Amino acid sequence: MIYLDNGATSFHKPPAVYRAVERAMRTCANPGRGGYGAAMEASRQVYSCREEAAALFDCQPEQIALTTSCTHGLNIAIRSLVKPGGRVVVSGFEHNAVTRPLHALQAEIHVAGRKLFDWEDTLESFDRALKQGADAAVFTHVSNVFGYILPVEELAALCRDRGIPFVIDAAQSAGALPVKLKALGADFIAMPGHKGLLGPQGTGLLLCAGQVQPLLYGGTGSASMDQNMPDYLPDRLEAGTLNVPGIAGLAEGLRFLKRMGTEQVFRTEHRQLERCVAGLRRLGMEVFAGEHQAATVSFRPGMDCEEAARMLAERNIAVRAGLHCAPFAHESAGTLQTGTVRVSFGHDADNTQTDAFLRAASKLPRFRQ
Amino acid sequence: MKFYFITFRSVTFAQRGEKVLNGGGFRCTLQRTPRWMEEQGCGYALRLWTKDVTPAVELLRENQVPLRKVYAQRGDGQLEELTV
Repeated sequence: MIYLDNGATSFHKPPAVYRAVERAMRTCANPGRGGYGAAMEASRQVYSCREEAAALFDCQPEQIALTTSCTHGLNIAIRSLVKPGGRVVVSGFEHNAVTRPLHALQAEIHVAGRKLFDWEDTLESFDRALKQGADAAVFTHVSNVFGYILPVEELAALCRDRGIPFVIDAAQSAGALPVKLKALGADFIAMPGHKGLLGPQGTGLLLCAGQVQPLLYGGTGSASMDQNMPDYLPDRLEAGTLNVPGIAGLAEGLRFLKRMGTEQVFRTEHRQLERCVAGLRRLGMEVFAGEHQAATVSFRPGMDCEEAARMLAERNIAVRAGLHCAPFAHESAGTLQTGTVRVSFGHDADNTQTDAFLRAASKLPRFRQ
Repeated sequence: MKFYFITFRSVTFAQRGEKVLNGGGFRCTLQRTPRWMEEQGCGYALRLWTKDVTPAVELLRENQVPLRKVYAQRGDGQLEELTV
């Protein structure tokens, strides 16, 4: 299989990740719950993951809440900052992981910046929207549909200047772009463990600098006499047993990234992005590409996008079609009615994969030669 | 040399404390906090074997590791809470 759906999940993990998952299943009991060897080993595995993540994302280990997904983390962050009916500024490229929790709170959602790959538009629109005040701003670092890298440092500065708390959705950027909690001054940054961080599914990280409200209530292995959730991190956000095998795997994914370097990941992926965009354009596809683009590209194949993806799958090419859980992004780009086919590269991207994909794409009916 | 216990509210704080103390040359081991030391119930502690606990506590504070209490073993083997 030529796997080009890394925007959904990374599929080829470093070998150490698989080994760590199995080893944890065989050696770890419940972390933070006992003093015997297997419980302490579980605690060591969990803490080791926090340490790796803290080093990569510029924070303290206890500022890292281990979640089940990026969506889980975004729900915590949004529930912590936004009151029911509150005003929230979001970008025009948000995922449902952001917009559905806001909708559930009946938040007044102000969409700022609809132009793809246009930092000036994004920044001016946010500036205007933030001037009117808001409970919070929430913005993605990279669009999961189009790969548009938003100017997060500048957006963060705008929010800080106006004293508006903000959340960054790093679902598509963590592992390939710099994500620094302290430097950005974000209240929260959410990310999955199973995409660019190369861990197993069912893992995620929420970097916390702001006041947090728990989403789940229950046992934490600490302060058991108190019926309130602990008021300190990470216990406040980690009720129930953690996914230790997944977390042990995630720690290995993070170690792999430390060795390879996120800059190298970005360069590797970006080379293939450029090759892919050029190839699709040669085939006459409508390609959404521009400056400030990460390792994801969407195109319209001149036929139904789901049919195109099915035909590509028959040729053993794994890409994703449709709306990618991001109707706001498609609305911004004018692709809501048709959807797009999305190609997203990973840390192991190479010419062989890209060329195999382009050969298969050239066989799609409209472009058959 | 004598034993000390430094208690923490969570295993995460205790683990960070362990790293900091090990990095500072102190010998310590992580364990569950004895029940009587933790009125909130359930916590973790570092068991420390050293001459004087004060530099260890200072090191933890310098590194902003929140600790709860410090206990020392008396000559009769009993533990007593210290104010450090």
